[in-house]
Amino acid sequence: MASQRTYEVMYIAQADTAEDDITKLNDGIQKLVETEGGSIVRIDNIGRKKLAYEIKRKKEGYYVLLEIQGSGKEIAEIERRFRVNDTIVRYITVRVDEDRKAAEKVRSKRENRQNKRGNGSKSGNAAGDDSAEAQDNE
Amino acid sequence: MDADRDLQMSDIELGDLQRGDKSPRRFPRRRQRERVPDYIDWKDTDYLKRFVPERGKIMPRRISGVSAKDQRRIAKAIKRARAMALLPFVGD
Repeated sequence: MASQRTYEVMYIAQADTAEDDITKLNDGIQKLVETEGGSIVRIDNIGRKKLAYEIKRKKEGYYVLLEIQGSGKEIAEIERRFRVNDTIVRYITVRVDEDRKAAEKVRSKRENRQNKRGNGSKSGNAAGDDSAEAQDNE
Repeated sequence: MDADRDLQMSDIELGDLQRGDKSPRRFPRRRQRERVPDYIDWKDTDYLKRFVPERGKIMPRRISGVSAKDQRRIAKAIKRARAMALLPFVGD
C-alpha cells in the first residue's frame, strides 16, 4: 500500500439542486475513487446552508463533505468534474492526514509528560483541560 | 515564567521609554496564553469565530494571546472557511 493520503473534499452545489442529483453525483465520485484504488471514509450531506456572503447572487448553497482516502489521482479527476459541472458553485480539497498525525503526536507527547509528572500538579490539570477541548473539536 | 514577567508594570514602562521611534511598539501580554486544540478544524466555524470579531478580520495574536504557530494554523483554517463561505471576508 503505497502512501495513502486522506483528503477532505467539500463542495457547494446550487441550493435548488434535487437530492437525487446530489446522490447521483456522490455515487459517481464513489465509483471513481474505488476504480482508482481509494476508498470513501464518509459522505456527509450537510444540506442547505446560508452562505456567509453571496456567490453568484445566491445566498444559500447545498453543502456536501466527503472524506476520501487515496493516492491523489482521484482528487484530480474529481476536481476536474467539479469544474465542468455547472451545479457546483465552489469546492475545496484539504489534505488532512499530515495535520492529524501532527496533532496526534502533540497529544501523545503531552500525555507522556503528564504520566511522568503524576497527577495533582497544577500544570498537569491544565493539560487535562486542553485535551478535553481537543476532543470536543473532533 | 515568561508570561509572568511580561505582566509586570515596571517592564512595560521600561520598554516604552527605551523604544526609539523606529522600533515597533511592545505590547504587554494582556491575558494568559490562549490554549488551542491540537487539531484546528477549518469546518468548525463556531470555534473559529472566537478569532474573527465583528468586522470579519482575523484577530491579531497580541490580542488573542495564541502562540505564533497556533496563529498560523488558525489563520489558515479561517481562510479555508472563508473560501467556502462558512465565514465572511468582510463583516458588516
